[in-house]
Amino acid sequence: MEHSEHEISIEEREMNKWKKRLILSWIFVIPVAIIMLSDRLFGFKIFQEGTMTIVILILSFPVIFIFGWETIRQGIKGIFTFYFNMDSLIALGTIIAYLTGILSFFGIVQDYSGVSSMIMAFFTTGKYIESIARGKASQEVRKLLQLGAKKARILQGNKEIEVEISEVKIGDIIVVRPGEKIPTDGIVFKGESSVDESMITGESMPIEKAKGSNVIGATINQDGVLYIKATKIGKDTFLAHIIKLVEEAQGTKVPIQKLADKITNIFVPTILIISILTFIDWLYISKDVSKSIGIAISVLVIACPCALGLATPTALMVGSGIGAKNGILIRKGEAIQTMKEVKIIVFDKTGTITKGMPEVTDMISTINEKEFLKIAASLEKVSEHPISRAIVNKAKEENIKLSEVKKFKVERGRGVRGDIQGKNVLIGNKKLMDENKINYKKYEDKIIELEAQGKTTVVVSISKKVVGIIGVADAIKEDSLKAIKELHRKNYRTVMITGDNERTAKAIASQAGINEVIANVLPEEKEKKVIELQKEGMVAFVGDGINDAPALKQSNVGIAMGTGTDIAIEAGDIVLANGSLKGVVSAINLSKATFGKIKQNLFWAFFYNVIAIPLAILGTLNPVIAEIAMATSSITVVSNANLLRRKKI
Amino acid sequence: MKKIKLTIEGMHCASCASNIERAVKKVSGVNEVVVSLMTNKAFVDVDDKVNKEEIKKAVGKVGYKVVDVEE
Repeated sequence: MEHSEHEISIEEREMNKWKKRLILSWIFVIPVAIIMLSDRLFGFKIFQEGTMTIVILILSFPVIFIFGWETIRQGIKGIFTFYFNMDSLIALGTIIAYLTGILSFFGIVQDYSGVSSMIMAFFTTGKYIESIARGKASQEVRKLLQLGAKKARILQGNKEIEVEISEVKIGDIIVVRPGEKIPTDGIVFKGESSVDESMITGESMPIEKAKGSNVIGATINQDGVLYIKATKIGKDTFLAHIIKLVEEAQGTKVPIQKLADKITNIFVPTILIISILTFIDWLYISKDVSKSIGIAISVLVIACPCALGLATPTALMVGSGIGAKNGILIRKGEAIQTMKEVKIIVFDKTGTITKGMPEVTDMISTINEKEFLKIAASLEKVSEHPISRAIVNKAKEENIKLSEVKKFKVERGRGVRGDIQGKNVLIGNKKLMDENKINYKKYEDKIIELEAQGKTTVVVSISKKVVGIIGVADAIKEDSLKAIKELHRKNYRTVMITGDNERTAKAIASQAGINEVIANVLPEEKEKKVIELQKEGMVAFVGDGINDAPALKQSNVGIAMGTGTDIAIEAGDIVLANGSLKGVVSAINLSKATFGKIKQNLFWAFFYNVIAIPLAILGTLNPVIAEIAMATSSITVVSNANLLRRKKI
Repeated sequence: MKKIKLTIEGMHCASCASNIERAVKKVSGVNEVVVSLMTNKAFVDVDDKVNKEEIKKAVGKVGYKVVDVEE
């Protein structure tokens, strides 16, 4: 959906609507209040009894049946179709009060008509304030919707022409000057600059970009001119995905709200019945029709299903909004509740703790080094594995021309094999060599030495004879250690899981500050390891979301790391837009804070109704006071959710 | 099975959201409905053969308006 700057959002329209009604209502209600109060409080009658009732009925009419018509109509419709709602209570309360004014002429009851318009006016006022608070609750998410660029300057021949963002096509070259917004996702084609990505990833430091770098739409180009080739447009952009995630999260439920939802469903009819019973009881006890009507009206208007219904969604909205601003995308409401039970956090190694960009650091071989690298890289170029890429990159750096490979095969979790120039080449870990009965004794000491440094070591064999080994190192992310320390301080048990062998894994884990390691795990076994750990407590799994999808799903809370411009949408209950482990700490803090708010709100909403309804039944509250209390309670809930912003995450 | 997203105008309270959920759930071909009061959106899980007009009508019947349908 496109959002232009001039388009008024539903929230704003709602706010304006209530504001208009509020002003109009009070113009009529203030005189009503003056007439009534001067009579009740000071015994000063502006009009005679009968005239007063007529004046109040006339003044109240537009407040209820014109400005309040939508509420009345919805409410009555609700009663007749058995789809009761909040409006049903207000409609009944005001209409009954209004009718007492008319009936008072026949001497049947006392006149309550002034109360009718006052209830409606306070209801409208409450709704207006609530709509402002609700608008505030969703401000971060709305900002996200408006974040996208509206226009782009594309290069056609030598000319730059400005077009609407919707007209940009994949492959277009877009010119972005310093200070401008990058219109869509793309890859830098020419130019160098730094880019502020904080609005998308929450990362406050600008990121350097040069030819070949990926850029994200809606981020701000800082100091150089960038020529960008558009790679993703419209619904496929990073920003569009984030918006989708955040919006869909609002469509998920937090388990704790189930009871509140159940109560909301039967709330209004229940109150109607209670109100009727109250009327009958009071009539029986006091024989005073007027008093009984007044009390019944109080019961109708004091009950507040809104506070109950708003308690969870508002807090979730504010929480996910703050999260989105910081690059933490909550996909499922359930995750924030489960998070507080989590005791064990399992990290995937590659790409999560480490940068996921391994580099060749050591090559030891009995044959010519160039020839050795040529054979290794030729075989590895067909594979997608990070280690393979590291070896291929090394060959590229040295400008080595690669040979053709036949009968290529991936030995899952162990290595690769294939034929080069008629010779069978095998590259992989010790397991692969053992399985093929290849003797690598000569390199054993060297392998141990490299592994102790945290380097993954692969053995290269040609025609069943080992010709050398390659050590590949994947450096850990700068902030991994700090994040893990923080988690330990919060008493979490941390575990690293990896396909690497024990020694390499332990070396990396100790660099990151993790004591517990599960090594030699095949990709498909990660899920099983999670199940095992779950016997000891709730598990959060942190992974890149691509290879780790089953483990992410199996864990109690799956935290998927977004890397670069790829975002793992389907896996993971929480997605971190920037790849930093700091995000895990923030996600935990945010979940706990949000869930705390939800609990507070639900408690308040229950507490309010449990206290207020009996007070109304006992006849201690005037209907107008009852209405004010009701309006205040739902405003309180929404405002309390907004206070979540003060939490540091 | 597919998901559609409706933008709904006129919701102002929690019972509104639950009423819409109740009403839309009764439309044949609808498996699951979640209404978000905060974003004015309804997320509906439907069969392929569902009639979208029926859903709109159901929302209209309980007093609200569907202003946008996205697949």
